[in-house]
Amino acid sequence: MHPPPPGPLGDCLRDWEELQQDFHGIQETHRLYRLKLEELTKLQNSCTSSITRQKKRLQELALVLRKCKPSLPSEAEEAARELENQIKERQGLFFDMEAYLPKKNGLYLSLVLGNVNVTLLSKQAKFAYKDEYEKFKLYLTIILILISFTCRFLLNSRVTDAAFNFLLVWYYCTLTIRESILINNGSRIKGWWVFHHYVSTFLSGVMLTWPDGLMYQKFRNQFLSFSMYQSFVQFLQYYYQSGCLYRLRALGERHTMDLTVEGFQSWMWRGLTFLLPFLFFGHFWQLFNALTLFNLARDPECKEWQVLMCGFPFLLLFLGNFFTTLRVVHQKFHNQLHGSKKE
Amino acid sequence: MSGQLERCEREWHELEGEFQELQETHRIYKQKLEELNALQTSCSSSINKQKTRLKDLKLTLQRYKRHASREEAELVQQMGANIKERQNVFFDMEAYLPKKNGLYLNLVLGNVNVTLLSNQAKFAYKDEYEKFKLYLTIILLLGAVACRFFLHYRVTDEVFNFLLVWYYCTLTIRESILISNGSRIKGWWVSHHYVSTFLSGVMLTWPNGLIYQKFRNQFLAFSIFQSCVQFLQYYYQRGCLYRLRALGERNHLDLTVEGFQSWMWRGLTFLLPFLFCGHFWQLYNAVTLFELSSHEECREWQVFVLALTFLVLFLGNFLTTLKVVHTKLQQNRSKAKKP
Repeated sequence: MHPPPPGPLGDCLRDWEELQQDFHGIQETHRLYRLKLEELTKLQNSCTSSITRQKKRLQELALVLRKCKPSLPSEAEEAARELENQIKERQGLFFDMEAYLPKKNGLYLSLVLGNVNVTLLSKQAKFAYKDEYEKFKLYLTIILILISFTCRFLLNSRVTDAAFNFLLVWYYCTLTIRESILINNGSRIKGWWVFHHYVSTFLSGVMLTWPDGLMYQKFRNQFLSFSMYQSFVQFLQYYYQSGCLYRLRALGERHTMDLTVEGFQSWMWRGLTFLLPFLFFGHFWQLFNALTLFNLARDPECKEWQVLMCGFPFLLLFLGNFFTTLRVVHQKFHNQLHGSKKE
Repeated sequence: MSGQLERCEREWHELEGEFQELQETHRIYKQKLEELNALQTSCSSSINKQKTRLKDLKLTLQRYKRHASREEAELVQQMGANIKERQNVFFDMEAYLPKKNGLYLNLVLGNVNVTLLSNQAKFAYKDEYEKFKLYLTIILLLGAVACRFFLHYRVTDEVFNFLLVWYYCTLTIRESILISNGSRIKGWWVSHHYVSTFLSGVMLTWPNGLIYQKFRNQFLAFSIFQSCVQFLQYYYQRGCLYRLRALGERNHLDLTVEGFQSWMWRGLTFLLPFLFCGHFWQLYNAVTLFELSSHEECREWQVFVLALTFLVLFLGNFLTTLKVVHTKLQQNRSKAKKP
């Protein structure tokens, strides 16, 4: 080696030497990392296959148990019930374990993303992702309120309406994707509140293709007012629900991956009952939209297939939302009735 | 009958044993996972540190280069080459580390990690992407033929356009994932899918009417032609890439594209005329739409926007392909001069 030349070039060379030394360290760490990664992948595979096998055997066991239960003597019945409880508990444990193992994507995620692993492998990462989802919903709702307000009162052109509808399509699409990822990560979110976003995506997609015309103009203002109202209610929902969930999580009564939803769930009786009238009003507005659209569809001047195709999703949304909420209310009354009887 | 219960209980005990084992494995797994996370973070942060320092160093060298003597200049050049090589090594290393998503993936997926951490998984994902493109192209071809020749409803057109929007959307998402896994795919061939998504989105909102009917058949015929060319492309490119990979001349994660790239000179030159024909068809679409937009009965904003989009597609495709051809010709000339 020559002695490094003086001046800035010498400084550069010295810098490079330093970097070279650090680089060897990094290479070593990286090699170690790759080794560990391989080990981990093997462990992952063995865990996953063991869980799948055991789950299958548990299911068979539960089936046999249920079949032989009616013909058991009364003292054995107790033991059988005990065993059943244990099986259920074990299944819950498997669910928790699987949250830390990568798994195959469901149909929807496979269609959109392909088979990339979306399981987040640490509790912090899961929670951060959930938190980001909540924030995303909150911010987007505010943006949607502003835009629907602008479209309703300030701008009256089909282009801005199309932009608004496009935003809605995108919003619901990414919600469905994010929710599938969250479910993959162990969030428990109930059937209708997921499905409801698919219906909304379809609805906004059809709205997007509805050409300007007499029929569109007749429905436009009603739809935009409805959007404004809905975004407002959703804003209230997310805002209060995240606070409530935070408290319940701190008390250990709710799971860390529980999400805010667009509807009413049982835990919301504790302090969020004031949201119910708003929700019911929104549901009936959906019914009103459906009825308006069905009326428009019978108009002799209506040539667009979109009118009817928007009417049905609105009706579906009303039915789903209304009955799901009603069930929660019904259950609550039932529980209260039982509670007061016991006393 | 209680014998059955006993059997159940025996089975349960057996399972209990297995479960203990599993719990132990899972515990070790979680522990290792934490260790791995720590290693990941330390690797990522030190690579980032080195990268910024390398960049600084490069900048200083570049500034110094102008007033260096001849032998110093050689040294500077040598160091520049070293730095570039080092940056490539870092790129390869980063392919195995989780990283933050870019803007687009962040908007669609949020901050979920999409880096696949093993070579097999990466390759399987790439393969799935290629297959997905191939199958969807066939489906689109059939859809376009059906719409063009058999079904003349706006609803079926709508379904076809919707399929196009979805296809391009998921392509952009998958490509972003592939890029974050270390695929090198050039600028235009990525942004070209964003433009296509926009194009099909606008097509979707175009209401039925005189102007739409005037353009409909041309658009569907164009779609048929494009799907055919893309089918040829994917089919032949896949074979060619497979061979080149086996020879070690191409990276494992190289993708098929809609255009022409330098490695395709080796056996795929016959695709060029088809490609150019497709590009000029795009130009022709743009011109037709510009003419339609000055039609007196045209009230839809979609016509003009579509014309502009087709023009952008034509310019991007044509110029990118031309650049590849130009580089090749230049290389040939310099080779002919040498001997």
